[in-house]
Amino acid sequence: MTLLRHTPKGEIKPRENLVVNPAKTCQPIGAMYAALGIHGCLPHSHGSQGCCSYHRSTLTRHYKDPVMASTSSFTEGTAVFGGQSNLLAAFETIFDVYDPAVIAVHTTCLSETIGDDIPQITKKAIDDGKVPEGKVVFHANTPSYVGTHITGYANMVEGMVKYLTKSTGTKGEHAAVIPGWVEPADMRELKRIVTALGVEHVLFPDTDGVFDAPMTGKHVFYPKGGAKIEDIARAGDAKVSFALGPIATRAASEKLTALHGVEGEVLDLPIGLSATDRFVDAIRKAYGIEVAEEITNERGKLVDLITDMEQYLWGKKVAIFGDPDQLIALTEFLQTLGMQVRHVVTGTEGNFITKRLTEINPEANVKVGGDMFLLHQWMKNEPVDLLIGNTYGKYMARDEDVPFLRFGFPILDRQGHQHFPTVGYMGGIRLVEKILELLMDRIDRDAEEPRFELQM
Amino acid sequence: MIEHRPDAETAKKELVAKYPSKVGKKRGNQIQINHVAEDGTVPMVLANSRTAPGIISQRGCTYAGCKGVVLGPTRDIVNITHGPIGCGFYSWLTRRNMTDAGADGENYMMYCFSTDMHEQEIVFGGEKKLEAAIQEAYDIFQPKAISIFSTCPVGLIGDDVHAVARRMKEKLGINVFGFSCEGYKGVSQSAGHHIANNQLFRHIVGLDDEIRGSKKFRVNLLGEYNIGGDAFVIEDLLKRCGFELVATFSGNSTYGQFANSQTADLNMVMCHRSINYVAEMMEKKYGIPWIKVNFVGAGASAKSLRKMAAYFEDKELMERTEAVIAEEMVKVEASRKRHAARCEGKTAMIFVGGSRAHHYQELFTELGMKTVAAGYEFAHRDDYEGRDVLPTIKVDADSRNIEEIHVEKDEAKYRNDLSARKAELEAKGYTFADYKGMMPEMDSGSLVIDDINSWETEKLIEMWKPDVFCAGIKEKYVIQKMGVACKQLHNYDVGGPYNGFAGAINFYKDIDMRVNSPVWHLTKAPWQTVEEDVAVAEPVPA
Amino acid sequence: MRKIAIYGKGGIGKSTTTQNTVAALAEMGKKVMVVGCDPKADSTRLLLNGLAQRTVLDTLREEGEDVELDDILKPGFKNSLCTESGGPEPGVGCAGRGIITSINLLEQLGAYEESQELDYTFYDVLGDVVCGGFAMPIREGKAQEIYIVVSGEMMAMYAANNICKGIVKYAEAGGVRLGGLICNSRKTDREDELIIELAKKLGTQMIHFVPRHNDVQRAEINKKTVIDWNPTCEQADEYRALATKIDQNQLFVVPKPLAIEELEALLMEFGLAA
Repeated sequence: MTLLRHTPKGEIKPRENLVVNPAKTCQPIGAMYAALGIHGCLPHSHGSQGCCSYHRSTLTRHYKDPVMASTSSFTEGTAVFGGQSNLLAAFETIFDVYDPAVIAVHTTCLSETIGDDIPQITKKAIDDGKVPEGKVVFHANTPSYVGTHITGYANMVEGMVKYLTKSTGTKGEHAAVIPGWVEPADMRELKRIVTALGVEHVLFPDTDGVFDAPMTGKHVFYPKGGAKIEDIARAGDAKVSFALGPIATRAASEKLTALHGVEGEVLDLPIGLSATDRFVDAIRKAYGIEVAEEITNERGKLVDLITDMEQYLWGKKVAIFGDPDQLIALTEFLQTLGMQVRHVVTGTEGNFITKRLTEINPEANVKVGGDMFLLHQWMKNEPVDLLIGNTYGKYMARDEDVPFLRFGFPILDRQGHQHFPTVGYMGGIRLVEKILELLMDRIDRDAEEPRFELQM
Repeated sequence: MIEHRPDAETAKKELVAKYPSKVGKKRGNQIQINHVAEDGTVPMVLANSRTAPGIISQRGCTYAGCKGVVLGPTRDIVNITHGPIGCGFYSWLTRRNMTDAGADGENYMMYCFSTDMHEQEIVFGGEKKLEAAIQEAYDIFQPKAISIFSTCPVGLIGDDVHAVARRMKEKLGINVFGFSCEGYKGVSQSAGHHIANNQLFRHIVGLDDEIRGSKKFRVNLLGEYNIGGDAFVIEDLLKRCGFELVATFSGNSTYGQFANSQTADLNMVMCHRSINYVAEMMEKKYGIPWIKVNFVGAGASAKSLRKMAAYFEDKELMERTEAVIAEEMVKVEASRKRHAARCEGKTAMIFVGGSRAHHYQELFTELGMKTVAAGYEFAHRDDYEGRDVLPTIKVDADSRNIEEIHVEKDEAKYRNDLSARKAELEAKGYTFADYKGMMPEMDSGSLVIDDINSWETEKLIEMWKPDVFCAGIKEKYVIQKMGVACKQLHNYDVGGPYNGFAGAINFYKDIDMRVNSPVWHLTKAPWQTVEEDVAVAEPVPA
Repeated sequence: MRKIAIYGKGGIGKSTTTQNTVAALAEMGKKVMVVGCDPKADSTRLLLNGLAQRTVLDTLREEGEDVELDDILKPGFKNSLCTESGGPEPGVGCAGRGIITSINLLEQLGAYEESQELDYTFYDVLGDVVCGGFAMPIREGKAQEIYIVVSGEMMAMYAANNICKGIVKYAEAGGVRLGGLICNSRKTDREDELIIELAKKLGTQMIHFVPRHNDVQRAEINKKTVIDWNPTCEQADEYRALATKIDQNQLFVVPKPLAIEELEALLMEFGLAA
């Protein structure tokens, strides 16, 4: 039985106004995710309580772990009279009941449209004594009708730089590492790589240990993970910053340069061989170090795996959808593997994204600001051997009987993404392993009896 | 029996003391210690009231209640969210509403449609884009109906979605209608249910008078959303007993069922909170009486089926119903005994929804478990205290915003025969439009908490250490991190169905698994201090 | 750079006053940018000699993300720079959000950066501070000083008092201050005395009394500011005087808005209310 039975093959009718099966969601969830990468931070959603509820639910389903965030609980009256009194009351209640070290306020389409001025309200809260001594309140504007969840992440991380980084006037030797929207396991892996290279660093936001907290019999409201506020402050004195994923982190990197003169390198997300090479090499050059054998060995293992298994990958057609930084790095990696990326869709708009994606895959169908309905039509018209994307892809995968690699956000039906990285060389190995498993299971499933093989 | 249970008064004081005084005072009225007086009255609970800003609440918004809950389960309407992309995205397939469209029926439930408003539509208005989006949807899908759901900014910038709907209805010749269900309206999902009820009634119910299927024993099931296949179970039961199910609002439903629903002889209300408005309006306009039913719990299911059969006063129907109940109860009892032996004496807390916190107590009772605390996420006072309190509920500013539509008797279609039957049955003691609420059925001394939040949830678990805590996805992992099993009663932990007899059996098994799982004894490593006894895991029954 | 916002009741002559004052400042050699914050987009017409420029929001709508500063910032009289926020037609959408959007864009594109070497930015804001969007120009980091255009007419004074309430809110948080009232004369009785008194009660000053003169309208018909149209006429000197006073102004206050009774008593005193 067909799941998406109304998606037609053949002619693709133009659609300018109706989005069907979006490959994106809205800004505030990205801001919430980023803010939870600060230790002791409670994200606060300034808008209707449904926004906060939706974002918490989605993140919880993705991680199967607690996701705490508060809301201004707007009512119709608030929408007319403005959200000041709600936010002031919220601060008071939050500090009394949940006692966070930091509140990270983000806006919503509602509070943005009525034009609430968060710095003005925050100032008033401080003046009125509603923010206890030593507590930090900062904010990011995240109108839901501008950009996507990635924009929201970018804005919140830029907010961290703007409010939380400090310069003492003395530059240090440490690096600031600003990851794009990646999984807790990826943040952990990035720290491991930079540490292995012998470079002292601060990484923020850092969701390692936040969404993958251990079961201990206690609910730790503010989990052990998260970048500490004093560490984020030190980014202002960093020798250099490495921002990983231009769409999600360029704004933060530029802000760090503008505010504290920290030289910034904006790189692709280190997913796959070449992007990881560029990341490692950038650190090598900036610090004039020799790359540790440990890391070079990992690289060698990845190359080894590719050469060993090339025949199963070569020429295989792939359709992929997701977030732009991931797509840029991953499609490059798929090309490295000898695969043919045929269809690429991201919901996030931007000419830079289009340019990068078409540079990497000049032959592919690329739609920046597209949706999954379009991708599905492309897949019907030109079938592929592998589909890569978030959980929502499973409907297309089943309809078209295509192996499906879950990658990106959100993943609502499988676990492991919070524990096992896909960045770096080891992450590359994991990706290749997963792809091979899918493709080779398919071979085993479909092989005719005489051709069923023991060795592969 | 309940070892950890502290004094309820002390517990309440401790819960409330944490808040700023104004918030604490209000919470004090939302937290009550149940007391069932001899005349059946219970304490007043402040419900359907704003959540204090800053509180980490379970609640969602009006849009979620309208688009997600009530209209979400209908398969053949193209539901377009008019707003920025998020709202449509988050309500896309996230409620486990199942549907069976057959091999080639219309089914749009796997699709998400949105106008994806950008900043320019916020500034310059979004009506043109909405209109064009409806046209595009029509050109590609040719559905029989298209509906529009308004999100927060739509209300602010003043797009007239109803005018757009009227224009497009005329232009396309299909039914097009809108919902002003902006998220900021009301205080929870509840306002969205009401708005959905109004528009379903105004735009669909009554459009098709043709009687299809059996002419006898025609019923509608109201307030059952087919989560995890719940409605499938009831459909099967009703069919076996001999009832003709005309429409379900709205699990596994179609547009055509709604349009035809006024041809039923009886409305059965399952989730009182979300759908009582449609039941009331249908009675007023078409003379169809309604009764409250509950298909959660084997005993409750049997009781509900008997009440339905009794309404029709048909011997054969009653016999068939009894036969079905008898057949099912054999299976239920075998399972119940096995699991109750392992669950008896354990405690539960239930904090969800607008009916479930009440309904699910039945299942725990059947397992020999006690519900020591319960409350709703978005209910009103009548769901706690019973419909008798309806005249005394104060209408506040937030409820006044929600339209009450004025319904008049439809002289041509009004079923005088049914209202006569109602009067006759009432004289014999049969009750209609009667819901006693949750509290009269709970023990005195148990805690009743409306709109519970994360702080109170954690505190309750600390103080009471229940064996299972029922809530939703946002609470689930907080509870389990504390070493207590959580049973989700919104998505059933991707389990279920839990309705009817087959559902009861599923539930017994799942609760047994939850509360007796060996994993709760594995929290500590051998080298960590083990305070509690490391129990030997009991074998899981087949 | 000084950032100034001009507020006042609709139809009071804000745009005319702003442009004529800007013309005088420009003539003095100051580099000034005018940001029109009115959906009607008529805040820079005189400086641009009638050129209807494409608004920020229209440009954004048509060009997408590829907007450059030159697309939305047009040179006007004596090197002044003009931009119009624009907005929806009456009755649709959200004009307030439009202002937020366009000021954000100007900031992103670097319109306020030091490299622009601006001495002044003027925001000409629609009518009253009706919603959050119309307060955008006086948020933290934006306009530091506000001048309210007022006349001796009752409604204009009501509006001025209301605007002061808005200023108080933002003054508490940010640095915005009231620089004074500009009386754009309607030739009501004892108008100057009344406005001086109102200013005093609000804790500010009447920075200048601009007499009513037909030359203003003549210049406007010619799509010019008075200074541009006839630099030697008397009215041109009035605007020069106003510009000089603003340039040299030292009195910046958090206003003390009047209670309605107090305002009415004042009007009674001057015989405006019966």
